[in-house]
Amino acid sequence: MIDTLHQSGGRGTLFPGTPPALDLRGIDKAFDGKPALVDASFSLEWGEVHAIVGENGAGKSTLMNVAAGVYAADGGEQTIDGKARSPRSPMEATAAGLGMVHQHFRLVQSFTVSENILLSLGRDSRIRTPAQAAAAIAAKAAEVGLPVDPARVVADLSTAERQRVEIVRVLLLGARILILDEPTAVLSEEEAKMLLSFVRRLARQGHAVVLITHKFREVAGFCDRITIMRHGKTVMAGAPVADIDEGEVARLMVGEALAVSERPLSSPGAVNLSVSGLTQKPDRFGQGLNALNFELHAGEVLGIAGVGGNGQEELVACLTGLSRQDQGSIRLGGRDLSRASPYDRRKAGLRIIPSDRFETGLVRELSIAENLALTQVAKGNFGGTFFLNRKGMRHAATAAIQSFDIRGASPERAAALLSGGNAQKVLLARELDAGMKVLVAHSPSRGLDMKATLFVRNAIKQAVEGGAACLLISEDLNEVLSLSHRVAVMNRGSIAGCRAIGDVTPEWIGALLAGHV
Amino acid sequence: MFDAAFLVRRQAPGLLLSGACYAGGLFVGLAVSAFLLVQAGVPAGALVDEFLVATFLTSDGLSQTLTAALPLVLVGLASAVAMRVRFWNIGIEGQLWLGAVAATWVALGGIGPEPLRLPLMLVLGAVVGAAWIALPLWLKLKWGVNEVISTLLLGSIAFLLVQHLLFGVWRDPATNFPVTAAFPEASRFAATGWGQLHYGFLLVGAVTAALWYLLDYTRVGFYADAVGHNIKTARAAGLPVGATITGLVLLSGALSGLAGVTIIAGTEHRLSQVVGNGYLFSAIVVAYLARAKPVWVLVVALALGAVFTAGNVLKVFYSISEGMIVLVQGTVLISILMAQFFSTYALSRPS
Ligand SMILES: Nc1ncnc2c1ncn2[C@@H]1O[C@H](COP(=O)(O)OP(=O)(O)O)[C@@H](O)[C@H]1O
Ligand SMILES: [Mg+2]
Repeated sequence: MIDTLHQSGGRGTLFPGTPPALDLRGIDKAFDGKPALVDASFSLEWGEVHAIVGENGAGKSTLMNVAAGVYAADGGEQTIDGKARSPRSPMEATAAGLGMVHQHFRLVQSFTVSENILLSLGRDSRIRTPAQAAAAIAAKAAEVGLPVDPARVVADLSTAERQRVEIVRVLLLGARILILDEPTAVLSEEEAKMLLSFVRRLARQGHAVVLITHKFREVAGFCDRITIMRHGKTVMAGAPVADIDEGEVARLMVGEALAVSERPLSSPGAVNLSVSGLTQKPDRFGQGLNALNFELHAGEVLGIAGVGGNGQEELVACLTGLSRQDQGSIRLGGRDLSRASPYDRRKAGLRIIPSDRFETGLVRELSIAENLALTQVAKGNFGGTFFLNRKGMRHAATAAIQSFDIRGASPERAAALLSGGNAQKVLLARELDAGMKVLVAHSPSRGLDMKATLFVRNAIKQAVEGGAACLLISEDLNEVLSLSHRVAVMNRGSIAGCRAIGDVTPEWIGALLAGHV
Repeated sequence: MFDAAFLVRRQAPGLLLSGACYAGGLFVGLAVSAFLLVQAGVPAGALVDEFLVATFLTSDGLSQTLTAALPLVLVGLASAVAMRVRFWNIGIEGQLWLGAVAATWVALGGIGPEPLRLPLMLVLGAVVGAAWIALPLWLKLKWGVNEVISTLLLGSIAFLLVQHLLFGVWRDPATNFPVTAAFPEASRFAATGWGQLHYGFLLVGAVTAALWYLLDYTRVGFYADAVGHNIKTARAAGLPVGATITGLVLLSGALSGLAGVTIIAGTEHRLSQVVGNGYLFSAIVVAYLARAKPVWVLVVALALGAVFTAGNVLKVFYSISEGMIVLVQGTVLISILMAQFFSTYALSRPS
C-alpha cells in the first residue's frame, strides 16, 4: 500500500512558496473507541480545487469536520495558512478563514435567507439587521456570481438554492478555505455543473476548495488534485489529477485486498423473490427507481452495493410496502405482491431489517417485549380479539433475550435504552423467525461494533443456510463482499451490473460505483 | 446565567423522580392558585374549607363533586383515546353539542317508545358525535389536513347550529328564552336521591371500565401505542394502522357526544346555550394530566369536579368570576406539565 502513497507535486499550486492553506498530519480520531481516522493526512494549497474520494465510511467527512472544528482530533497536527491551529469550534475555524458546507444543511426552515445568515454572524459582526444582512448577501452573491435571493424563506427553496445559501453564508463569514461535503450528491446534473464551474472560478480567484465526491468525472473535469481515503487512512495524498486514471482511483478506493473468495452456492434454489421493472418517480429530494430488476434465489445472498442516495431507501420502502411503485412487479415465491399490504407481504414470508432501526423497525417508547411481539399480535399469536396475552409476550421476550444474547435487556425495558448492537439483535430476533422466506437487510451492521457486526453477519449466514434468501443492501463494500454470493451495484435507481462473487474485481466495482458503465 | 446551558434527555426517569416531579408540580400549581384566589378576595382560611371539606368530606359536597365529574370523565376519555393515536381532537365541544342536539330531538319529539327513549338518546348522541369527527378524520387520512384546525372550526359550526335551533324552532314557548322546553321524565336519567346525582353514573362507570379493559387488556391499546409513538414502524410491521386510528378517533367523537347527552339528560333536562361551554379545555386538562390512561382520567376528573363544585360556591359567596376557575385549572395544568418536562430533561451546563 505504501508504494501507492504519492506525494504532492508542485502542480496545482498557483502561489509557489506560500504555506499550504490547510495542512493536516497524522490525524487520529475514534468514536466510542472505534477508530474513524488513523494517521490520516491532507494538504490543501491556495488556488486549487482538491478532491477527496473514498467509499462511504472512509472518514472523509470526519477528517473535514476535524479541520472545521466540529470534532476535536485525538492526535495529530493541524495548520491553517501556515499557522498551527486546531479550531475547537466551527466559530474558531471561521475566524481562521475556513468554512464548511455540510452534507446535511444547517438552516432554519421557517426563517428567510437573511435571517438565517444573520443568525450565524454572531455578536461581533457589524451587520445587525435583516436589511443590512440582505444588502451584504446581495453584494456577496453578485461578487462571486451565485444567484441567491435574501428575502425568501428557506422552506420554499430547492435543494440547490439552499446549498447556494450555505455557500454564500460561509463566504460572507470570511472563509477563504471552502470545504464542500458531497455537494453534488443532492443536485441534478445541470445544477452540479453550475456549482463545479463556480468552484473553479473561486479557486482561480485565490480561494482554496475541498470537494468531497464519489464521481470520477467531477474529479477529472474540475479538480486539480485528488486525495483518496480508505478505512480512515489516506491511501493517496494529493496526486495531480492529470497523472491518475479512473481504474487506479477505483482500485485505491476499494482496496486490492478485497476478500473476494469463491462462495459457491451449496444448492442454487428456486427463485424466491423476483423484482422486475420497478419504477418510481423521484420525490422532491430523493432519487427515484428506474426499471430496476433482480432475482433472488433460495439459499443465496444477493449483495447490492452502491453509494448512498442512489435509490436504496426507495427500494427498501417499495419492498416493505411503505411506498407504492409507479410501475413494475414484486413477486415472492410465485405470489404477486406488487400491491400487497405490509401485513400480506409479511405473511408471505418477507422480513425487513431497515437501515434506520428506530424509524421503521422498532418503537423506542415500547418495551422490548412489545417490540418483539409487534408483528405477532395481529396474527393472533398472543391471544384473540378480546384478550392480549402480555404474560405470553414477556415469556417469549425472555426466551429471545437469552437465545440472541441481548445485553442490558429485560422484557419490560424500553427499546430506546438499548445500545445499537442490542437493538439490532431485538430486530433480528423478531424478523428471523420460522416463517421467513426472504430477508431484506439494509446496512444491517451500520454503526455496530466488531462483535455485534459479526453476530449480525452470522445470523444472516445461518438464515440463508437454512434455505431463506437474503437481499443485502449496503453502502459498506466489505459487508457486501463478505456475505454475498452475487454482487450487484446500484446506481441512479437501477442495477448497473451484477456478477457472481468470484468474478468481482475492484475495477469493475469501482467503475460502477462511480457511475461509469 | 443561561448563556450556555443544554437540555439533556434523561435516559430512564425513575418512578421516584417522576413521582416527585409530579407532586412538586401539583404543589406549586395549588400554591399559585391559592395565591390568586386570595388576591381575588377569598379569605385564606376558607380555601381548605371550600376545596377539601365542602367537596369531598361532606355528603352534599361529595354528591355535587361526583355529579360534576360525570361529563368530565367522558370528555376526558374522549380526548384521551384520540391522544393515544396522536390525533388532537380540539372539536370535543362541537361533538358534545351535536350529541346533545340529537338527544334533544329525540326527547322533544318523543321519538320511540318511552322505555327506549333514553337508550335511544344515548345511542343517537354517540353516533352523531362520531359522525361529526368523521369529516376531519377523513380529511386527515386522505389529504393530511391538520385536525387541530378542522376539528376546532367544526366545533364553532356545531355551536352556531345549536344557536340556530334555540333561537328558532326549539325556543321555549313558555318563556320565549332561547332554551328548549324541559324534557319529559322518560328522557331523563333517574335521580338517585343523593343530592343531584343521577343514574348516569352507572353508564359513566361502565364506559370507563370498558375503555380501561379495551386499552389495557386487548390488542387495541397495543396497536394504539405503536401507532401513536411510531406510525412508520407500525405500518412496516403490518399493523392495521388505518383501522386503529379510525376506530379510536370515532370512539372519541362518540364519547364526546355521549357527554352531551349525559349533561342534558342528567342535570340540565333541557338544551341551552351554556351546557357545553368549557368542556374542551377541561377535556384536554384531564387527558393530559391522566397521561391518556382511562383509570387516571377517572381520578383527575373527580379532582376537577371538586374544583368546579368549589368554584360554584366561591362564585356565590365571594363573587369570584367563572374565569378564575378556568385560571385555576390552567395554573395547575401548566405547572404539572412543566414538572413533567423536567422529569424528562435535565438542565446541564458545560464547565
Ligand atoms: N458522530 C459520529 N459518531 C460515531 N461514529 C461516527 C460519527 N461520525 C462518523 N462516524 C463513523 O466514522 C466513520 C467515518 O465516517 P465518515 O467520516 O462520515 O465517512 P465518509 O464521510 O467518508 O462517508 C464511519 O465508520 C462512521 O460510522
Ligand atoms: Mg460523509
